[in-house]
Order: sequence, then C-alpha cells, then structure tokens
Amino acid sequence: MKRFVIAVAAAVLVFAFGPGAPAFAQSSKPFVAMCTDTNGLGDGSFNDGVWAGLKKAEGEGLASVKVLEAHSMTDYIPNLTGLAEGGSKLVFGVGFLMVEQIQEAAKDEPNTFYAGIDDYFGGNVPRNLIGVSFREQEAGYLAGIVAGEMTKKYYKNSKLLNDKNVIGAVLGMNIPPVERYLAGYIAGARSVDPTVDVRFITVGSFADRAKGKEAALALNDQGADIIIQLAGLSGMGVIDAARERKFFAIGADVDQNAAAPDYVLTSALKGTTMSAYLLIKDLAAGTLKGGENRVFGLKEGAIDIAPFHQFDSIVPAEVKQAVADAKAGIASGKITVPSTLAELGIKQ
Amino acid sequence: MSTRSVPVSAYRIVAGILTFVLAVPGTILYLASYFWGAWLLAGACAAYLADRVLELGRPAFFSLVRSALRRSAMPAIGIVAALLLGAAIMLATGYNPLSSYKALFYGGLVRGWSVSVLNATPLLFTGLAVAFAFQGGFFNIGAQGQYFIGVMTATWIGLALKLPGIVEIPLIFVAAAFVGAATNAIPAILKVKTGAHEVVTTMMFAYAISTLSPVFIRAFGGDPSHSMHPYASDTLPEAAWLPTFKSFLPEANYRLHIGIILAIACAVLVRFILRSTSLGFKVRAVGNNPMAAKTQGISIPRITAASLLISGALAAAAGATQVLGLDHRMYQDLGAGYGWNGISIALLARNNPIAIIFTSLLWGLLDSGGRYMAMTTRTPNSIIEIVKSIILFLLLAEMLYQRIGLSLRAAFSRLRRGSDARTGIEKEIGS
Amino acid sequence: MSGFAAVLLAPQLLEATIRLSTPVTFAALAAVVCERSGITNIAMEGIMLVGAFFSAYVGWLTGNPWIGLLGGLVAGAAFSLLFAWATVSLHINHVVAGAIMNILAFGLTRYLMMVCYGRQGTSEAVPLTLDHYRLRVPLLSNIPYLGSAVFNQTPLVYLSLISVAALAWTFARTRFGLSLTASGEHPMALETLGRSVYRVRYQAVLLSGLLCGLAGAFLSIENSNSFTEGMTNGRGFIALAANIAGGWQPVGVFLASLFFGLVDAAQLRAQSIGLIHLPSEIFLVFPYIATIVAVAGLVRKSRPPAAVGKDFNVEGGGD
Repeated sequence: MKRFVIAVAAAVLVFAFGPGAPAFAQSSKPFVAMCTDTNGLGDGSFNDGVWAGLKKAEGEGLASVKVLEAHSMTDYIPNLTGLAEGGSKLVFGVGFLMVEQIQEAAKDEPNTFYAGIDDYFGGNVPRNLIGVSFREQEAGYLAGIVAGEMTKKYYKNSKLLNDKNVIGAVLGMNIPPVERYLAGYIAGARSVDPTVDVRFITVGSFADRAKGKEAALALNDQGADIIIQLAGLSGMGVIDAARERKFFAIGADVDQNAAAPDYVLTSALKGTTMSAYLLIKDLAAGTLKGGENRVFGLKEGAIDIAPFHQFDSIVPAEVKQAVADAKAGIASGKITVPSTLAELGIKQ
Repeated sequence: MSTRSVPVSAYRIVAGILTFVLAVPGTILYLASYFWGAWLLAGACAAYLADRVLELGRPAFFSLVRSALRRSAMPAIGIVAALLLGAAIMLATGYNPLSSYKALFYGGLVRGWSVSVLNATPLLFTGLAVAFAFQGGFFNIGAQGQYFIGVMTATWIGLALKLPGIVEIPLIFVAAAFVGAATNAIPAILKVKTGAHEVVTTMMFAYAISTLSPVFIRAFGGDPSHSMHPYASDTLPEAAWLPTFKSFLPEANYRLHIGIILAIACAVLVRFILRSTSLGFKVRAVGNNPMAAKTQGISIPRITAASLLISGALAAAAGATQVLGLDHRMYQDLGAGYGWNGISIALLARNNPIAIIFTSLLWGLLDSGGRYMAMTTRTPNSIIEIVKSIILFLLLAEMLYQRIGLSLRAAFSRLRRGSDARTGIEKEIGS
Repeated sequence: MSGFAAVLLAPQLLEATIRLSTPVTFAALAAVVCERSGITNIAMEGIMLVGAFFSAYVGWLTGNPWIGLLGGLVAGAAFSLLFAWATVSLHINHVVAGAIMNILAFGLTRYLMMVCYGRQGTSEAVPLTLDHYRLRVPLLSNIPYLGSAVFNQTPLVYLSLISVAALAWTFARTRFGLSLTASGEHPMALETLGRSVYRVRYQAVLLSGLLCGLAGAFLSIENSNSFTEGMTNGRGFIALAANIAGGWQPVGVFLASLFFGLVDAAQLRAQSIGLIHLPSEIFLVFPYIATIVAVAGLVRKSRPPAAVGKDFNVEGGGD
C-alpha cells in the first residue's frame, strides 16, 4: 500500500512538472555505466561479471557502456553522480559497500536509474533505485551436488579424484555472501550424501594469493579432492594449488575455467552478468521499474553453474540429472536452500 | 611617552581582530565550496601582514618575507618538478598529460572540492598523529590500527548510549582518544622495557586490529539472518552525527561535516602543545637529541610513552570523526590507507602541525582530482600515487639541490682548471 | 585430538612452512644485509612487489620463466638503487625513504598493470612457471619426514637455503662481510681504513634488491603463474620482524622466518580440523601476535648494529 502511494505521488510529480521532470522512456540506445568497488576490474568476480553483462548488452546493440573504477570509499558518491552528469541513464554500483552512497546518489540525480549490485535497501526505496541481490546459496547448492557426487560415487572417473569422501572450500573473509555460498555448498553436498565431510578454511584476505593456495593445499592434504574458491583474488591461489597438486577446483561468481582449463571442474555462477543484462534489456524496452529490491536466483534465470567444458564426458548423466532436478526443485520452491551455517547446525 | 606608540598598538589590536574575524569565516566558507571566502582569507592575510609590519618594523619584516619566500621556493619547485615528471611518464606511456592535469585540478579544486575536504579530514588527524610521534623521534607506522580502534570505540558508544548529541559527541571523542592512547600503550611499554622497535610492533598491531574488526562488526551488525551488508555495523542514531556545513550554509555539499574544522583546531592545539608547553619542549628535545635530553634530566622512557600515547589518541580521533561525520557506521578495513597517507602528509609538512593542514588538503585534492581525471579521461588513477611519491622524494631530498649546486660549481671549476680537477674527482669516487 | 596431532606432525606441514616462509626468508635476508651495513630498510615490501610484477611481465613476454626471473632481479636491483641513492647519497632518513619507496611501488605496479595489460587485478598467466623445474634430489629425498618437504622442491626454495648459507659464510669469513659489518658498526673506522662506506652501503642495498626480486619472483612465477595487485600482502614487514627476531644473523632470520611460516601453516590447518569452534579471525590474528611476541621476547638477547639507521656523511664525518 505504502509503495503504491509513493508510486502515485511520484507519477503526480512527473506529470506536474512536465518537461522538467525525468524522462525515463528512452531513445533507442541509452548510455549505461558502471562504477566498480575498490577491487576494480580484473577481480575475476563481481566487477568483471557486471562488466560482462554491460558488454553483452552493448554487443546486442542495446546500449553504449562505460566503466569507472573506485580507489577508496570516498570515491563512490562522486563516481556515481559524475556518471549521471555524464549522461548515463542507468548506473550500476558494484558491491554492497556502496549501499549508503548509492541511495544518496539516487536522491541527487533523480533522472538516472541506479542499480546497486549486491545491495538490499530497507524502507522507502527511491523510485529510480533498484537493489539487486542474489541467492548465492542456490549456486553453492548446485556446485555442492556436483562435488558431493563426484568425490564419492564417481571418483574413478578422473585421476584427479581420490577415494576419500572429503571436499573443501576456501573463504576470503567471513562475511554473509561468502557464508551463503558455503551454506549452500555444504547443503548441496549433504543432499546427495549426508556423510560427506566438508572442510573449509578462511584466508583473511581477498587479495593474498599465496595464502589462498596454502589453504587449498592444506585441505588437499586432508583428503579434499574438490575445493571451491570463495576468496576473490586469493581464490586464484586455489586454482594454483589445483594445478600443482592435480585436484579439482570449483570457481565462483563467474566461469573461471579459462584460468586452468584442466583443473577447474565448473564454477558457481552468481548472476551478476545476467542481472545486469536483464536490467539493461528492460531499460532499452522502456519497462525498467525502480523503487524496489530485486533478488535474482534460479527462478529469475540468473543463477546457474558453469558448463563442465572438457570434463563434460567424465561427469555422468546422473549427476547432470541431479543438478537439473535441484534447479527445478529450487525454482519451484520445493527445495529451500539454507543461507547460514547456523541453519546447518555448524557452530563458528 | 612617544606620541606614536599609542596609535601603533591600537592599529595592531585592530589588525589582530581583523585577521581573526576575516580568517575564521573565510576558512569555513572556502572549505564549504563558497569560493568567495578566498577574498576574506586574502583580507585576513593582508591584516596579518600589516600587523607584522607594525610589530617588526619594515627592514626586519622584509627580511622575514625574503626568508619565507626562500623557504617556500623549494616545495614549490619540488611540486612543479614532480608534476612535470608525472607528465613525462604519461607521455611515455601514451596518455595526454595536459588534459589529465586539467581534469585533475578542475576536479580536485573546483568540481570535487568537497570530496577533497572530506578526504583530507581523517588524513589531517592521522598526519598529526604521525607527526607528533616523529617529533619525539618515533615512527608510528601503525596509525591505521589506532584509526580503527577509534572507529570501533565511536561505533560502540554511539550504538550503546542514547544521549543528546551535545553530550554524546564530545564523550565519544574523549573515549576514542583514550582508547587509542591505550592501544599504543602496549608498543610504548614494549619499546621502553624490551627495546622492541615501534615500526614492527605498531605495524603488527595494525594488522591484528584490522583482522579482528569483523568480529566486532558482527557483534554490532544487527540481525544476521537478513543482513545484506555484513561488513558494516548498524547505523548510529542521528543524534550522534556531527553537524554538516549544510545546516548553516545551504549551498554546501550535504556530506561535508564539520570534522575538518575540528581537525584544524586540533592542528592548532598540537602546535600549541609542541611549542608552548614543557611537555612539547621535552618531546622535541628527545626527538632532536636523546643524549642531550637525558643530560638535561628528561626521563626518556616517560617522554617516549607520552608521545606514542598522544599519537595514538590523535589517530583514534581520525576514526571517530569518520564514523560520526561521514560513515555513521563502521565499515570493514578495505585498506583505505589513512595510516600510510598520514605518514606521507607528516613527512611532507616536516612534522609542522600547521603545514599538515595544507599537505592533507593537497593529498585530499590529488585523490579526488585523480578520481575525476580517471572519470573524464583515459588516464589511470594510479599515476597520482606515482606523482605523490615523486613529490615526497623531491621535497625531502634537500641534498639533491645542494648536489646540483655543487656539481654546477664543479663543472665551472673543471672548465677553469681543465683535466686537473677531473683526476681529483675520479680519485675521490674510486676510493 | 589425535587428528590434530596427526595433521601437525605430517610432513605436509613442514612443506607448507617452507613454502610460506621462502619469500619472507629472502626479504629478511635482504633486511639483514641492509641493516648490517647500517641502512634501515623498510622498502622490502615495495621492492618485492616490483620484482613480482616484472618477473611475471618479462616471463609472459618471453615465455621463459628464467628470463622472467632475470627481469625480476633487474627490476628489484634498479628499484633498490633508487633507495640507495636516496639514503646514501641524498641522506634522506632511511625509514622515510623506505616509506616513499613503498608508496611508489604500489602506484607503479598498478599503473604498469594498466599500461602493460590494460586492466587491473590479475595479469596474464606466464606460459611456464619455475614450478615446472621442481627438482627431486636423488638420495636425500628418501629421508623420512624431511625428504619430501626439503629435497623435492622448486628452484627458488633451494636458492633461499643456499642464500642463507652463503650469507652466513659471507658475514663470517669474507672481507666483504667484514666491511658490511664495519659499515654498520663503525662507519668512520671503515672510512679511515680507506674503504668507502658509501660504496659498501650501495653494494648492500643492491644485494638486498636482488634478494627482494627473488622473493617477488617466487610469489608471481614460482608459487603462482601471474601477478596479482598487492600480492605481497605485508610479507615485507613480517620480514622486518624476522630480521629483528633473528638477531640480524642469516641463520637466525632463517629460523625466525620458518617460525612465522610454521605459525601461519598451523593456523590454516587448525581452522579446517574443526577441533575448536572459534571465529576464523581468532586464528588469523595469531601470526601477528606471534610476531610481536617474538620481536619483544628475542630482541633483548641481541643488539642491532650500532650505526643502523644513522646517516653517514663523509664530509660531515658521520652522524
């Protein structure tokens, strides 16, 4: 009801001010921009994911695009408003540390849509602001099914796997999006085999590659033959370790197969690329709506796991079927994936 | 009783009052992007100079001006030379230095001036923190850690106590300063008792504090089941927020808070402590020459501890200002580098508290201007870090200028004396 | 409990310790050489970063990790010469000059990422890493426990062990080592003997630059296959602590580096065993606390070189 009132009020304002009011219905090729968080492009994750969505939209002729990198937290607001002044019709702010800033920017620049990737806004959301968040646990769940199946039932399919029923995860820092991935991963693995042993290590940094590698090696020493990386740039170290010790790594956020095609089994895809692309598509069609939070998951077609690439032949059809079943179950609401370790009964 | 003495002192009182009356609003207006405040500042300068002329008499005054000009020549040359070197690097790597610098200064001084000021605020505090320790001969490399202690204290008290702002804000600052000082007590004790070098201990403390900070944030992070922003704590009640400039200057940027005024006041206070109190005298004595200070009966361990404690308190005040003024909550450490930049700022100002006001603003404007430059041109922001380090290098390398002078002189004498001098120099180098 | 003991006693722990401590060992040896000659060096972090970048860049350009290693060494040496010039010739305070070098290194590597690769974050992977040249020493690698950890290693790990021994020998037996020590203890005495303190200190800083270049190359092209921004992540400062805890002696700092590596390797393993349920941050903070304790506990047993960190000016007759 409240939202409806606001929408009506907004509509009244738009008509009342006529030509001076925001003209959201756009010409054929709007200008779309993104503002990275302090990690910048090349993080192999969020920023790259959103940028891929922008490029995809540009490739299809939906928009012209631009990216701007931030180097400290005080950069966020000027970057966000500056892009609007530069004529952007839709600005993506990446990373949930921008949550406050993007709301202020949206107030400052009412003629531009702002989409906060990984943000969830409480209270009254300005009508040109969109919160975009994800159910990472669903991606983790799918990866967990693959890992759980492969490490026990099908370990003979690849010499990278061992007979121990142990899988692992390397975490950058102990923060909720990472925890959601992990909770889903554990739940997924347990759904195919309740006795599976999932071990995880936190590195303490999203940028310490050598330590990420060491954590993965420690897990491998304990028998883990499939390790998911949830550690940003430190996660590159997990892939380094997989290459050196010859086990499977699972990437996160974007398809990381290219980093080590012989060792990256699959990747848990957080739908940053798809969510950005879908929003631009709406913008181009003139149907983009602000003033709300959009949670992207399997149901919305944003979350998935990456193709198995060269391992397609060693992953049996049963596993692929299990993944497909889980997708259908999650999308239809039959399966609810836990989002915290507490729900799984794991104390921290 | 000369007939002239009465009017002179009267003029001086007028000039003094005028200086103050013009300088304070001029500074505030200018910081709030009311650029006509510069006229008031110019007026204040004129009044100040008039006062000095009346005090010293003309010949002494002009010799003072000459020496001040001479002293400021080197920093000016250094900054210009650093910018030229930066331009050379940009040219060599295929970027356009002219458009980049235009964007840098337009962005830093005009378009994003409020951001420059916001950037400068915590840096001014951490710069003072590092400088105070330096004055006592210590290197507080871990100001970053004490900054986070200040952030935590401010967040904790801000969330726990619900008092009116006029009580709560000063209380938070006092508590943050106290806890920041207490943090530095451990490196201070280790330094005094075991001789463990403060570079290592304060640095390791900074790492430890930023590693542990998520535990703190989780403890104050609201309901974790639907929290989307985990490495930020809950928001402080509005009563504990620092007032903004906008509340009395409607044209000011709405984020700009009065922290910068507090920081400038703090710089004046630090200058007063260092110059006009016995503690300040002792700190400087220990910093200049510990052996001489000892023979004068100054307790070196006590001064070591005092300067590290005050340094910790100042760095923590930076954190408190940032929480109460800008963030209104605690964010996890993202390596914003207030500690490191504080070192640069203190070095550039040669640990002079008043100069730190200007160097922190310079750093703030390079940061915000660099961002604007990256936004409007293709030039990467990181060139600013390179220019900053060249500025530091050139301003601290006094010997470089003496060298250039010497080698020029040597070249002249070589021309005069022929090969004789050359063999002499070679012998010196070859030894 | 037995699981915990088994993990801690496994040879893999020793292996991990060696891998984690190798870059710290190189950088700590660099600190020893510098400080013994009288130069306080806190620029190791920056020199390592530059070395890591150029190793990866040259390795990527040429496709040969050995040429990449050479690139890292040259870059480390060149960058350290700038530091030597600033501290020895221009008489800038050593700690101050070191801090500036670190800022420059961070800015420079970020800038070069954009110039050379057109992006930030992680660089292109080198086609071949030094890990490819892992060497199993025939007989020694069969020794139980030690064998697999110490004698089945990558080239730079061996080189770090050799460097420790070589530097220990240099300090104990050679004229150069003697000059280094003299330059750090009594620079004036060395000068009156007709040896140039400036020259000795330049040599020391250059040597430390080479060692930091090796540390950087280890991180980018031996332990991984590309450069990542900020990948040194404070190792230069841990090395500074190792130098003090190790009493300014090559063998001592090697043991201190091993100790820091061991603490880190153990805390990573302790996390995954699930024996104690604590927030992971409690484990992560352990290496820093251990560093403070080691420095505070051990520093009294040894003494820094008398003239370390003090400017020496031939004309002025020293400080």
